[in-house]
Amino acid sequence: MNQNTDLLTLRSVSKSYGTVPVLHDIDLSIKDGEFLTVLGPSGSGKTTVLRLIGGLEPLTSGEIRLDGQDISRMPINRRPFNTVFQDYALFPHLTVSGNVGYGLSVRHVPRKEIARRVAEALELVQLGRFTDRFPAQLSGGQRQRVALARALICQPRLILLDEPLAALDLELRRQMQEFLKSIQREIKTTFLFVTHDQEEAIGMADRICVMQAGHIRQLGTPHELYYKPNCEFVARFFGENNLVAGKLGSVQGELRSIETALGRLVCSIRDQPHLKTATDGASAFAAFRPEALHLADAKDTENRFSGTIADMAFAGSSTVATITAGADHAGQRLRLRMPSRVDGSTLKSGATISLAFAPHEGHLVLA
Amino acid sequence: MTALPRLSTVFLAAITTLVAVLLYSPLAVPIVSSFFTIAHGNVDWSSPTLATYVALAENHDILAALRTTLIVGVCTVILSVVSGTLLALYYHSRRSGRTLLQFIIFLPFLMPPIISGLALLIFFREIGLERSLLTVVIGHTVFVLAIVYRTVLMRLQSMSRTLVEASYDLGATGWQTFWRIVLPNLSSAMVGGAILAFALSFDETMITILVTGTQSTLPVRLWAMMRLGFSPDINALVALILMFTVLLCVLAARFLIPRQVATERT
Amino acid sequence: MSGTGTIPLAERRWSLLVTVLAFALPVVFVLVPLAIFLGYSFFSVDQGTIVHTLSLGNYVRFFTDPIFLPVFWNTIVLCLSVAAICILLAYPAAYFLTTLKGRWRYALLMLLLVPLLMSYVIKIYAIRSILGLNGFLNKALVGLGILQEPSTLFVFNMNAILLTLTLLLIPFAILPIFLSLERIPQVLLRASDDLGASGLQTFLRITLPLSLPGVASAASFVFVLAIGDFLTPQMVGGISGFTFGRILYSQFGTAYNWPFGAALSVALAVVVIAAILVGERFGRNRGTAI
Repeated sequence: MNQNTDLLTLRSVSKSYGTVPVLHDIDLSIKDGEFLTVLGPSGSGKTTVLRLIGGLEPLTSGEIRLDGQDISRMPINRRPFNTVFQDYALFPHLTVSGNVGYGLSVRHVPRKEIARRVAEALELVQLGRFTDRFPAQLSGGQRQRVALARALICQPRLILLDEPLAALDLELRRQMQEFLKSIQREIKTTFLFVTHDQEEAIGMADRICVMQAGHIRQLGTPHELYYKPNCEFVARFFGENNLVAGKLGSVQGELRSIETALGRLVCSIRDQPHLKTATDGASAFAAFRPEALHLADAKDTENRFSGTIADMAFAGSSTVATITAGADHAGQRLRLRMPSRVDGSTLKSGATISLAFAPHEGHLVLA
Repeated sequence: MTALPRLSTVFLAAITTLVAVLLYSPLAVPIVSSFFTIAHGNVDWSSPTLATYVALAENHDILAALRTTLIVGVCTVILSVVSGTLLALYYHSRRSGRTLLQFIIFLPFLMPPIISGLALLIFFREIGLERSLLTVVIGHTVFVLAIVYRTVLMRLQSMSRTLVEASYDLGATGWQTFWRIVLPNLSSAMVGGAILAFALSFDETMITILVTGTQSTLPVRLWAMMRLGFSPDINALVALILMFTVLLCVLAARFLIPRQVATERT
Repeated sequence: MSGTGTIPLAERRWSLLVTVLAFALPVVFVLVPLAIFLGYSFFSVDQGTIVHTLSLGNYVRFFTDPIFLPVFWNTIVLCLSVAAICILLAYPAAYFLTTLKGRWRYALLMLLLVPLLMSYVIKIYAIRSILGLNGFLNKALVGLGILQEPSTLFVFNMNAILLTLTLLLIPFAILPIFLSLERIPQVLLRASDDLGASGLQTFLRITLPLSLPGVASAASFVFVLAIGDFLTPQMVGGISGFTFGRILYSQFGTAYNWPFGAALSVALAVVVIAAILVGERFGRNRGTAI
């Protein structure tokens, strides 16, 4: 398995239901062996991408290639992909082993081999003791694992997972995230994981594809998306972010300035050539994370401005201050996240403070 | 609804009791009569007897009618379950004309039986089909089809669409998906529908009277006898049918109420 | 099976054949007979044979003959009364059921529905013997001192038909009302209590309005079943209890005028369809979305 070869390629894929377009000219390459997460709010078209690849829906236009071969019209039951459905879709009348062995049994694999491989698959998902139970007798997490075992037993080239963790509670979801990730590492099969939960995406994916309104907005590693969003949508959707609108100014090496209501701010444009070439005066946002914002001290020479604390909210390990800044301390709302202290000492609402963030922790997003 | 004061609960319970008495008194009469003699509206409680049951065993006329009813019932069940299931599958596959089709299926159930029965009567005459058990079976099937269809369709619609998708996704063909996934999940609804169909067919009177030939089913036979008054052994028959019906009800409830719901409720 | 996507449907090629087959049974045995029946209503009878020329004669006769319209109206009034009495009895019973918990609720519901499946002819016969001059009802009324001597008030007349149909059809009223009552979220009632409403106020302003769709379906159900019944009036109605169903049936028996009977059936069908549509219109449950 070479992570650099493309397993599956979508080329200008579009999909409409009747006259309602849901996907516009999607281009996407999935690398062999990677864990790719498609992330987007509901209605972004992320599930449609999965259904098109799985063959559950026909394409309106474009093509899907597997190892360079066009499979756009290949029937669902001949595609070497298996799906873990959002509602698991376990067959209620079959036992756990009946469910897991179904894919082999419809291909007329000999009974003995089915039994052996079912046992293996159930061992892998740690359900060895549950072979004779019916789905109704299992917990949510167990059903989830049966669905996974059922999908991977046919040794598909690609496993499609449609928000499989959505129905689980928070604690179980965290466990399942780790579990899925470890299984994926163990069997080295490519995973395409669809979710609307950005924390889930960050925690599991090798790469994340952010979708909105039927378009792919950005494709990259979680780190890239978090620190170098390439558009306002990704910057806002992906974690908490402070966005300050302004006009682009001059380039100085790997930094570029932007004129905003908070004054002149300087942000990093490293590895983002399109920001270097953007014209002066173009509309853009300065983006910086709440944890990058801090109370200014003598060392802070750039990106300094003052604001008024509107509200303080204790959130466990951190405390979040909501700050109004800009002209008359009214125009711009910002968030500042700082570690909580055991003695409860904190800033006071209504206080006016001086704030700053380091230029390399700020970045620019074209409007 | 615990907010109601006690007095109104008593009132409600009283009305419910009255309703139960009203519903069961017509059933109590033949049952009591099957064990005791009744003369001029007075029950002779002193001498219980099983003589009526003995007499019933020798009433060949009634037993023949009972046999006819069972034959008609079984044929009706087979025809209506097969065609009702196929029609439900057709409707569910979103093919053309499904709304119209469903409307036609429901017509005989919505229309008064006298209209369905007369329409069939004229139809059979027009195509030159003699009135016989065949025409009775057709009449019953047309009548109960809607019930079986509806029962199966409801199960089909409550079945998650992803089950079929998952089957295809795992490599199954259309046939494999139908036999191994769809049909097993419909089976309990089909059994429930079959029991309902049989119960309806067993007691169907109005359509049967119109389309039956020389061989008559039990209700029609009873109807003919009623003008003259019943012999006591009929009471024994009624008592037996009653027990049989209760049994059938319990069975139908078992198959029609999904298992999960049943366990939740207990 | 959702025929979407690349799901292989080998039979898609046979689509037309499948459609034809699906329609075959319902069309041949439902639609065609009803169409022929409708056609018959425009024929006429001459000396015992059916004349196959179209005319509106049967309909003219129905509207102009002094016999038929009054019977028609009386039957409608009779069946509306049956529906009303059934609902008056069924509503409290259904309400009582919803106050019960879990298993008891469904056991009692079953108890009230089981009589539906009991032999229809036997029930009519038993009711007749209860209502008769020497029947249990008269015995009881005389025994309690309410009547001096057995009354003929419910013997072979319209009253007898009314009572018999009511007894036969109550279960059909209980079920829809029970279902609509059961569907009312308990939270709403608790919210009403919480806002200070009395038990009666909660019932009148929350429960009753939300259960009206069930009442509408129940009324339409009972009415349609009552008006289509021709055996019950025949058996308990005697000479004075003449209903539309009986007249209609007699056209295919003693009177032997099939075309006229077909025309009467069309009139009956119109009333039934109207009742179903009214039931459907008001039977939509507005409360379910909550």
